[in-house]
This record gives sequence, C-alpha cells and structure tokens, in this order.
Amino acid sequence: MSNFSNDVLTTLKILIIGESSVGKSSLLMRFIHDRFEDDLGLTIGVDFKTKTVVIDGNSVKLAIWDTAGQERFRTLTPSYYRDAQGAILVYDVSSRVSFVKLELWLNELEMYSNRKGIIMMIVGNKIDKDKREVSREEGIQFAKKYKSLFIETSAKTKDGVEYAFDELVQKIIETPALWENTRYRQTQQLTDDNITDNQSSCLC
Amino acid sequence: MGEDLCSEYDVIVIGTGMTESIIAAAASRIGKRVLHLDRNDYYGGMWATFSFDALQRWLKECHNQDQKNITNFKNKTYISQDEILISCGSQSSVSNIDEQWFIPKNVPVNASENSFSKNEKNDFWDQEKIKNLSRKFNLDLAPKLLFSRGSLVDLLISSNIARYAEFRSVSRILTWYNGQLETVPCSRADVFSTKDVSVMEKRLLMKMLQLCAEYKPNGNEFKNFEKKTFADYLKSKELTENIVHYILYAIAMSSINTPCMTGVERTQKFLSSLGRFGNTPFLWPLYGSGELPQCFCRLCAVFGGVYHLKRTADSLVVLKTDMKSICKGIVSNDQFLSTHHLILNVSEAPSSFLQETFNEGLSRGIFITNRSIYSSEKESLTLLQFPYGIKNKPITVIEIGSSTHACPDGLYIIHMTCKQNTNATEDLKPAVEKLLEIEQIDLDPSHSASSGISGFAYDYEIYSGAIDMTNKENQEVKSVRPQVLWALYFNCLETSQCDLSVNVPSNIYLTSGPDADIDFEFAVKQAKEIFKKMYPNEEFLPRAPDPEELLLDDEEIISGDNNSSLTSTE
Repeated sequence: MSNFSNDVLTTLKILIIGESSVGKSSLLMRFIHDRFEDDLGLTIGVDFKTKTVVIDGNSVKLAIWDTAGQERFRTLTPSYYRDAQGAILVYDVSSRVSFVKLELWLNELEMYSNRKGIIMMIVGNKIDKDKREVSREEGIQFAKKYKSLFIETSAKTKDGVEYAFDELVQKIIETPALWENTRYRQTQQLTDDNITDNQSSCLC
Repeated sequence: MGEDLCSEYDVIVIGTGMTESIIAAAASRIGKRVLHLDRNDYYGGMWATFSFDALQRWLKECHNQDQKNITNFKNKTYISQDEILISCGSQSSVSNIDEQWFIPKNVPVNASENSFSKNEKNDFWDQEKIKNLSRKFNLDLAPKLLFSRGSLVDLLISSNIARYAEFRSVSRILTWYNGQLETVPCSRADVFSTKDVSVMEKRLLMKMLQLCAEYKPNGNEFKNFEKKTFADYLKSKELTENIVHYILYAIAMSSINTPCMTGVERTQKFLSSLGRFGNTPFLWPLYGSGELPQCFCRLCAVFGGVYHLKRTADSLVVLKTDMKSICKGIVSNDQFLSTHHLILNVSEAPSSFLQETFNEGLSRGIFITNRSIYSSEKESLTLLQFPYGIKNKPITVIEIGSSTHACPDGLYIIHMTCKQNTNATEDLKPAVEKLLEIEQIDLDPSHSASSGISGFAYDYEIYSGAIDMTNKENQEVKSVRPQVLWALYFNCLETSQCDLSVNVPSNIYLTSGPDADIDFEFAVKQAKEIFKKMYPNEEFLPRAPDPEELLLDDEEIISGDNNSSLTSTE
C-alpha cells in the first residue's frame, strides 16, 4: 500500500451528482476549503478534490469527484461511477425541477455503480434562499423512499455542509464490506516509478 | 433536452472512439473550446465495452442500421452563396453478425437439482442466468492490450490521465505448437524455470533474444536478410524447431511471411516492454478497453469540453472556392454550430470524402466459456497468437476472467481477432476448432424453447459431462477444452491502411476505427498527427495537475501550462 501514508485507514471515492447549478461545486468548495463564492460559473479544471478526515480515531482520505460539467447533457461516463463507495445527490430547494430530476440521477447511479450497497446522501442545498419550492418534509420522504441519508444545507452560510460529508463517511466506515476487500485486489496503477505488482486500489 | 448548445467552437469532434477522444482531450487541455458529439447513447463507438444487455441492444441497432434511410434534408437557410451543405454518412461498418447460444434457455428447477445435486448451483449456466448477470459482463468490441513501454502507457503517465484507469498485467503468453498449447517463456526468469525447453535450448533462446534486443541499424548481424523473411533468418541460426516457433509466432507475433527486419523490430518492442509491470510485456485495462476513450473524454470535460451523446452532425457546411474547400461548421438538430476544425470518425463521413470503398476488415469473435483454454491454479490473463489461421494469418486470442470484471466468477471471456478473409465465423474457425468445445447442445437457440423435455435431457448429458470433467480436474488435465456457452461473430471495417485525407476539406480530419494490431499504438499515432496538423506549435497533452496542486487564491483559472507555478493548497 505504498500510496498511503501509514496511518490512513482507507481512501474513499465519493461522487457529487445532480442537475447543473444546484451548487455541487460550492458544496465541495465549502467542505474542502471552507470558502464560498457567489458566482463560480461552470466548473472548469476541477477533477476531484481530496481531504483527510478523522473518523473514530482513524484517518480516512476522501477523493470527492466533481461531474466536470458532464451532468449538463447527462453524459457522465460509466467510469465516473466506478468503485464509488458514497454519493452525494444534490438538489436546490428553490428549484422544484432540480428535485424532480434527482430521480433520474438515482437511476443512473443505480445503473452504473458497481459496488453493492453504495451509501447515498440526499442534500437539499440553498436553504439560505427566501424562495423555497421543495419542503423539508418532501425531501425527507424522498430520501426514505430510496433508503438514503438526508440533510438540508447552505454552502453559502455553511449550514449542514460538514454534517453532510461526515455522516456519509461515518456510514461508509460502518460498512466495511464497501472498502475492506479493496486491499487484496492486484491491479496496476501506472506511475513513473515502475512499481511492479502494486497492490492498490487507490484512485488518486 | 431543453438547454441548447453554444454555437461557436474551435474544435468539434464527432465520435467518441479512441482516436477522437485523445484529440478532444488534447485540444481541450490547451484551452480550445471543444464540442464532442456521438450519435450513440454510449461512449466509444466501435471501441466500446458493453454489459451483456447493452451488447444485445447494439446488435439490434446493427441490424436496424441496414434499413435506415439517411434523412436528406436540404435546408438552405444555414448557408450563403458559396457554401454547400453535405449530408453526413452513417456507414454501416458491422456485417456478418452471427450470434449463437450453446446452452438451454432456462433449466427447470427440479431438473437442475437432480442432475447437479453434488455440484454447487453456480456450476450450471443457462441463458436466463447469463442475462440476469448482464452487468457482470464487460464485453469488448475491440479488445486491445497496452505494451508496458508503448506510446499509450507513456501518454497516460505524462498527461496524468493514468489516474482514471486501472490495469492488470497479462500473466502468461501461450502458443500453439505440435497440436497443443504451451507456455512461452518470455522473461529471463521464465526461460530458466520452464520445463518445456532443454538447457541447451535455453541458452540458444537467450542468445537469440539478446541479438535482437541489441540490434542497431548498421550492425552486421542481419545484413544478408534485409530482403528475406524473419523465418529465414531464424532458420539460419541453427535453432531447434520449438525455439524458432516461440520467437517467430509468440514473441515477434509474426508469420512465415514477415520480413526479417519487421520481425526484429517486433521482437525488440516485445523485449523492451518486459519487466516494467508484471511478467509479460502487456497490460489489460480493468473493465475493458472501452474504459480508455472515456478517460480521455473525462479529461476533455474537466478542461471545459462540452459533451452531448445521441447527437451528431446531420450535415456539414463547406465553403468551396476554386483552390480548396473549407468546413465552416455543422448542422445538428437544426442548429448551426461553427468550428475551426472538425474531427470526424470515418463511419460518419459523407461518401464523397472517401476515396474508395473500403475492402479491408476485421473478423471478431467473442466467446463466453465455462473454463480457461489452459487451466491453471490461479486465474490467468492470457495472450495467444494462434499461428495457423486462414492463409497462415495469425489469430489473436485474449482470454480474461472475472478478476478483470470481464464476466461473473466461474466464467471466462475469450476474444479472437484476425484480418478478414471471408467472414468472421469462417475466418476464426481454425482457432475455435482447436481451442474450444463448440458441440451444439441444442443446435439452435430458437429451438430450445420449443424442443420439449427430451431436448433438454439431451442437453444435460453433454453439458453435465463437461462439468464433471471440470470437477475431477484437480491435477493437471490441461487438455480439456472449455465449453462455449455463447458466441458472437462479426466483421467490421479496418481503415488503418487507407489514406483518409484525399477528398476532404483542409480543416476536416477523418479518424479510423479499431485496427488489426494488438495494441493502441495506431490510435495514439493518428491522434498525435492530427493534433499536430491543427496546432503545430502546441504541446500534446501536457501533464494535468493533481487536485492538490490547484492554486486557489485570487486568480483560480488553472491553465496548467506551467506546472511549477501551481502551488499546493495544503
């Protein structure tokens, strides 16, 4: 496990999906850098971001993958979904359309995620906005139906952001089947240093 | 889909095959505005990897395509006086599709309990079970390997796209010699540990490989063989027959007609890729070859490339002057999209762009089997050049198992590829007959539904026979051939030898589909050449920064031109 420093328990791949401009990148920016900008524009150059968090005394490295704008015309590649242990599904509480469309994203996740029992967190973002089109109760009901975790957040005011990620990671760690067996998969990661028989499933 | 596309681009790319995807990524990486389209609802075109269901849908589409009329609409509103509108083609590039089942549709529950009570349930496969496990299959239209020191591995590492993919190394190379399979010793360690070769032969083999590895253009060793074949050269060296066979067919992947220097070059390429990853010179992408175009598409998107599937160019707008013609843009879903450069997969090209009708093709076979062609303790990833195809053209055989996510546990996928002679079923027959058990269990899949109980009983006997052998085989019963459960044959175009630029406007570049070679070298080469024509002074896929390297303060647009200036956020 040469890619990991000694005390990191595991690396988790987490996806952020949902319609365009529901605040996926803002959530990521808030969680990773504790920053917020009103106008991030379309996401360019962001692939995934990493952060190490401590869960029950264990360090866990998160690789959180952005959609890279490929959600716009629903053209995310199957390989984007591959091997993810968790997914954050975002809608905008001030846009009913973004909430309704979440069902399509759940279907797509179901279709392409290849790990059994991937943990999902449904996030109603932008609760700082006055105009609300989706009530908290509706959100909860929807999450229940899909056996998903649920929280409402505001990337702008910080509300709930930390919690959304922490809960998701906690749940993944409580489900060792999602991440433990990755240890003995003998695959090759291409690197400059010509590692032979690198036993790793690290994605970053 | 409600939202419409922006109407101006630097590069529009049509088709998401390997070559197109590399070019799209390279253009996007240097800041060009890229629009990437594909008429299909999946990535990869003829390079795609499919689940079992998706493959069935693809087959259906191939059948439908033959009857499809290309809509010829002549909407002149997009064009001015000197411009003309050219309808895009949709060349049907797949032919001779032949799908065969060798197992019953489904097995009544009690029957399977009686016949297989001693075995685990998993040992019996019927069509229904295969279909139910559809998503466990990753079936490649164009299975390809990577040379460990080949251009694609170098490109994946230098561009930092390697982080999107994982690989397994090919674990053994087999050959067909004297009517049976043998492992080819290809590394120094292999040569010394093999039992198939005598001590003297080991020395000869090592010496020969050394000679080829050290070859320099002005050396004397090959002087008299420049116009002869590699086989002639090897025979002149007083090697034993099996050593000649190993080098000629398995290591140089050649035939008796291969010119000497080509054989030497191939041997060198093979040897130079040894020892980087694993035991053999080759890598196989986890989840199949179709992953790799997607990796390049992802990079393209990360740098702002716009993706739209199920959308293509209906026609091209071309400005014709006396001297030359230039493409101004495309018409897609009634929208005019302008571009400086257009990349077009050859299957999408208007027929007037094509110099000749293509007569080269590939013969492909995909087989789902119940065991390996050459059983071993651990699951292997196998490459075999079967030397004795039609007209002595070799047939490339790749065998992969569940550890690469090609199929569910307990099954194997065997891919066969060779140049087309007549049709895939005939062309691959020599290898199929030697390597696989293709006894028709119930002759035709459509019969099995109506064939009644007696038909089933007959199936069981043969089929359970095969399974019994599997179970008894704890020692070395390597000669038992795998039973084919399902087979698919088809032919597709091979345009790597064609000049695709003859009748084409100067800013349109046609790309080929998968070629006959075992690796991705041709696609990488073609992509580089086209990129250099478009942007002669720009770097081809410079390294993309790692997420930790992205600068966040103030100006956060990441150009990536100068990696050293990107600072860590930690």
